Formats: sequence, structure tokens, C-alpha cells
Amino acid sequence: MKKSLMLLMTLIFVASAMLAGCGKSNSNGGNAPANEGQTTTNNGGNEAKVNDEPFEITIRHTQVGESKKFRLALLEDVVKKTQDAVPGLTIKLDAVESEVNRKEKLRGEMAAGKPPEVFDVFGSPDAALYAKEGLMLDLTPILDELGLKDKFTTLAPFTVDGKIYGLPIGGSIEGYFYNKEYFEQKSLKTPTTLDELDKLAEAIKADGKIPFAQSSKDAWIPLMTTNNLWSYYAGPEITYGFKTGETKWTDENMVKAVAKHKEWVDKGYYKKGELGFEYADMRNQIITGEAVMMMDGSWANSVFRDPAQAGDMVGKIGFFNMPPVNAGDPVVVMQDANNGYGFSAAVAEDPRKLQAVKEFIKNMWTDEMQLRGLKEDGVLPAMKMDLEQMKTTSDDALMQDIFKAVSEIGTSFPAFDALVQAEVNTALSMGIQQIIGGEIEPAKMLENVQAAQDTANKAEQ
Amino acid sequence: MNKALRNPLIYLIFVIPAFVLFLAFFIYPVFTAINNSFTSWNGISKNINYIGFDNYVTAFNDVAFWKSVRNNVYFILFSCLIQVPLIVIFSLLIANVKKLKGLYKTAVFMPSIMSTAVIGILWGFIYNPDFGLANEILGVFGVSPVYWLSDKNWAMISILITNAWQWTGFYIVMVLAAIIAIPKELEEAAAIDGATGFQRATRITIPLIMPIISVVIMLSIAGAMKAADIVLVMTKGGPAGSTDVMATYMIRYAITSFKHGFGNSIAVLIFVFTIIITVLYQVLISKRTERIEY
Repeated sequence: MKKSLMLLMTLIFVASAMLAGCGKSNSNGGNAPANEGQTTTNNGGNEAKVNDEPFEITIRHTQVGESKKFRLALLEDVVKKTQDAVPGLTIKLDAVESEVNRKEKLRGEMAAGKPPEVFDVFGSPDAALYAKEGLMLDLTPILDELGLKDKFTTLAPFTVDGKIYGLPIGGSIEGYFYNKEYFEQKSLKTPTTLDELDKLAEAIKADGKIPFAQSSKDAWIPLMTTNNLWSYYAGPEITYGFKTGETKWTDENMVKAVAKHKEWVDKGYYKKGELGFEYADMRNQIITGEAVMMMDGSWANSVFRDPAQAGDMVGKIGFFNMPPVNAGDPVVVMQDANNGYGFSAAVAEDPRKLQAVKEFIKNMWTDEMQLRGLKEDGVLPAMKMDLEQMKTTSDDALMQDIFKAVSEIGTSFPAFDALVQAEVNTALSMGIQQIIGGEIEPAKMLENVQAAQDTANKAEQ
Repeated sequence: MNKALRNPLIYLIFVIPAFVLFLAFFIYPVFTAINNSFTSWNGISKNINYIGFDNYVTAFNDVAFWKSVRNNVYFILFSCLIQVPLIVIFSLLIANVKKLKGLYKTAVFMPSIMSTAVIGILWGFIYNPDFGLANEILGVFGVSPVYWLSDKNWAMISILITNAWQWTGFYIVMVLAAIIAIPKELEEAAAIDGATGFQRATRITIPLIMPIISVVIMLSIAGAMKAADIVLVMTKGGPAGSTDVMATYMIRYAITSFKHGFGNSIAVLIFVFTIIITVLYQVLISKRTERIEY
């Protein structure tokens, strides 16, 4: 009898442990509405009372580390304002490192169909894919309601079939940071043509310095230069046609652009061994005075304005756009806004969560917050803004140089990776590293990229 | 209680939790991966298209895939031909030291408890072309700087050395345990018969620890086939894919491009290749060294 009892007890224990493990918590993260309806009736009376029952939404952000402390403070202020405006709302901030969020956590959650209510996301290709699978909230009616639809410089990376699925947090341009002090000492002037830039690099090289700081362990870094070069040689519109098959990577002007990049590598304008350098290394080359110019996104200004990172170099760094091939031609610059926030499609099923999201958007994308991001963090606004108004945010010489560079832009274009498939980006990344390593000629490299493009286009049909 | 233990149901109850975990975390993922490898699934979509063996055909026709396989083979060869002999030599040396044996054991074991990320940064400094220890030492002999991680001719060997440094200590401790377990009388008898230290090591110790060396080789092969973290932290598979192994190939060409079906086919190939090599090793080499009688 005792043994049977023991057997029974053991069975019950194992069964209950397994059932508990398989159970699903309803406390948080489920898709069940936080509360149906926004109002409840008070004891059958006529007066409608706001439903202030507690509910929670999660914001997945990537403001991790010292360099993002201003952006985190800005987010926290928006969170506070949103919580104050929506009764019962608690916003849980979930901080995850950007690459981990993009490549692992968010993807896993998307595959499971349960992303957080608000999440940091890259426009292309990520948001486009998630939106096509119906996992992201269509923001078009919300933006119409809040009058925000036409307020952004570009929403292209977040737009799929005419619907908007995300909002960029900031914008950026790509150009050259340079050592102003060195330029003054050597009586050098910022170039107005690519030929002048070439001669400038030659003079710097002859002086025993490295003309261009560049780290190519991550291929997207040298591709900033290549992308800007081909947008001059072949025109920025060429990139839009790769996906549709209207244009080809093997275009002779594309070959010229890649050949120009290769020529700079061959002339020794970049430090030897760049394929093994991390992103931070090229900034260090500028800070230590080893290199004189550096192609990077305008976001890098925060490094050169921070005494803890740039040391004595603070105030000695300037910025200019990559100049056109011929003097007087329009300045063509990469200007993008590909990182921002997206929202779970499940939010639409819960009116109170939808209200919280609307309030978050209303508080986050304001002129005040965009200017604050620019002032504190040096991130260019994603929203359209008067240049004079932008200039008032900072009297820092580097920021003024960046504002001047923005004002000089004749034609802007999004980064190539927003316009081509991920596998084409992989082929191009491989190709540029092969060019830098001296393994391949530009024409052959572009043939390989075109082959990847053809395969990707075929797969999409 | 004895009667209870004779009841098969009791055994079943104790086995079920572990069996469920084994099914959930090993068998199920393996079969899911095999299933997904025949699809063009993007990792997100609810619609999954079956495309037969297309993913495998794509992999087999891709030169970059075979380059990554070749790099896995380099890992295996380096482990078996260079790392394992070093492990045996250091184990014999440490086993025979009279003083500070614990210190040596701890010192060689230390790298294996460090995270790969830390080791990547540490060796990144050693391999730095400007101020790295490796080039400083070469400089003493008048050798011009080597671009260890950015030159495709040196990048792979740099990774192999770092990987060997990380894991050698772990295996040394395993082999040491085997050496210490050998009855002392055997060595003493050989010494009385006039055997030198070298003869005792090669004729007595090494033959007696062959089973554990065999295990070390098998673990090295398995480790070499799934290597990824050390490559990612040191070169990210570069320059231009020259240090890609199968796992990093999978990340570069499949996972980052939302091609999970293709990624799963590479994962299955890693699994199959590993099984083939370990089975071959077991059947052809390891079986002969398993039985040891003192």
C-alpha cells in the first residue's frame, strides 16, 4: 500500500511539474487586450470614467552604454510624458545592445510572432520583411491623425506598398571629417572636385601622414566611400534600378567608381592592414593625428566633440562633403534615416495600448525632441527642419560644418543597403574587401555582385 | 524499496523528465533543422515553401562554401597534428615536475575558462601590426611587420594559434589525470631495468594514455567542426571570407540575409560532416586504442 502511494505521489509530482512547465503566464507579454474599451460606466450613471486599470507596454531600445546616455535620457523623458498622459500605463524599458537586438532577439521574437509593443528596428531590409509578414503596425492612419505624415525628410526605408511601418529617430549624412589644424598648418583647402581631393591626399601622403583613416574589417565602412563615389560617377539613381533589373552593377561608370577606390588603395592613401582594423581604430587614427581625413557618417561628431574620447583633438576637427567630379556640379550625398522605432501589429487589437503608442509617437517625434537630439547627441533630425533653426542648437564649429554640408547638398540618396537585397550587400561586402586586399579587379568584382543581384531578383519573382 | 526499484514503472518515471528534455532540446531541433533545410523559409514567414534539395545544391556549387569547409579541415589538422602532440609533451613535462605542479596546472588551464571575446581582444593586441607582441618579437630578429589578421595568408594561422592557446590547457588537465592514474610500479620497474625518461614516456606512459588521447582528438575534431566564436571575434570571417568556417559561412550567407532555409541546410551539413568524421575516426583509429590492461 505504501509503495503504491509512493508511486502515485511520484506520478502526481512529475505530472504537475511538467504541466507547470508547459503552462503560459498571462501576467505579461500575452496578446490579450489589456482592457477592452477605454472607458467604463460608473455604477450605471451617465458620467463616463477613464479606465485607469494598470496595464503595461514594453519598449525595446538600444540606448546602451556611455555614448548613448543622452539618447537614453531623451527616451526616458518621452516615457514619463507618455505614462503621465495615459492613465494606468506603465512602460517597461528593455535595453538590448543594437546588433544583438537586430540579429538575434527581435528576429526570434518576430519568428514567434510576439515582438514587444515598441521596438528599435532598422528600416531596410528588416522592417520591410516584418511588415510584409503582418507583424508591424501600419502607422499611416496614426500619422495622418497626428499630422506627422509629411514632417519627415524621408520615410522610404520604412515604407512598404505605400504604408508606413516605422519612424526614424534621426538622420545622418556621410562625408569627410578632417584635421582642421593640420589643414591650416599646411595651408590646405577643402576640395571642390574629386581631382582636388586626390591631389590633397597625394600631398598628405607625401608629408608622411595617412590621407584617409579607414577600418575595413566591417565592409560597410569602406563601402561608404564606394557608394558615394559611384553616386558621382554613375549617378545616385543607378542604385534604385539594381533591384528592378533596369540598371546593372557592371555599368562602365560603376567600374570607374570602384576603380577609383582601388586606385586610392593602391596609392597607399589608407593605412596598410586596414582589413584587420575595427571601426574604433580609424577614429583613433584621426584623434592621434596619424591620419588626416576620414569618411564617416555625421553621427561620428559626438566622438570628436567629447574630450573623454577625442582629448586634445576637440575643436580641431572639421567636416566636408565628398566633392563632385567636375567643379560646379551638384553635390551628391548619402542622406539616410534607416534606424528608428517600429510597433507590434498586436497593438491594434488593444485600444489602450494603441492609445499609448499614439501618445508615445506624439511625444517622441516633435521639433523639440529632434532639436534636443541634435544638440545633445549631434544626431541630425529625421524630421524636416529649418536649417537656421538647426544652427541655433550648437555653436560648435564641427556641428556648424555639418550644417553647412547639409545646406550644400544638391541631391541626396539613401545608402545602397536600403535599396538592394541583403545577399547583394553580402556579395558587395565581400567584393570591396577583395578589392582592398588586391585579390580582384573592379570589373570582375562587379560581375560577381551582378550575379548575386540576378539570383536575388529571380528569387523574388 | 527493493521491490519498488524492481518495478519498471519507477525507472520510467525517473527517465521521463530527462527524456522529455532530450527530445525537446536535441531531437526536435535536429529534425526541425532537417525539415527547414528543404525550404526557402526566411525565418519569419508563416508560409513555408518546400524546394527539395535546392539549398544543398546551392551550397555544393558555391566556391565560398568549399573554402569554409577547407578552413574547418585546417582546424582539424592543426588540432590533431600540432595541438595534440603539444598537449602530450606539456602533460608529460608537468606530470614529472617535482615542485609547483598545481601552479603549472592552473596556469595552463586558465585560458580555457576565459571567454572567447576576452581572448579575441587579448590576441588582437598581440597581433596588432604596430605595437603587438608578435611583431615586437619578430622585429628583434629583423623581420618586417606581419599583418596577422588583415593578410589572408596569415589570418587563418593566427586564428588557429589563438584557438589552440585557448583549449590546450583544458586537454592538458585531462591527459594529466590519465598520466597520474598510471600505477607508479610500472615506471619504477622500467627505471630499474634501465629505461631512460624518454623511453619510459614513449614506451609506457603514452601507450597507456592512448584512450584519453583518443578522446582528446575526438573532442578536438568536434570542436573544430563547430568553431565559430573565435573566428567571429578575431576576423569576422575576413579578410574577404578567407577565414570563414562553415558556421560563419552560415551566418554570413544565410542568417544575415534572412535565408533560414539555406542556413539550416548548412547546419545539417555541419552535423552530417561531423558525424562522418567522428564515426570514421572511431572505426578506423580509436577502436584499436580503447582496451588497456595494466
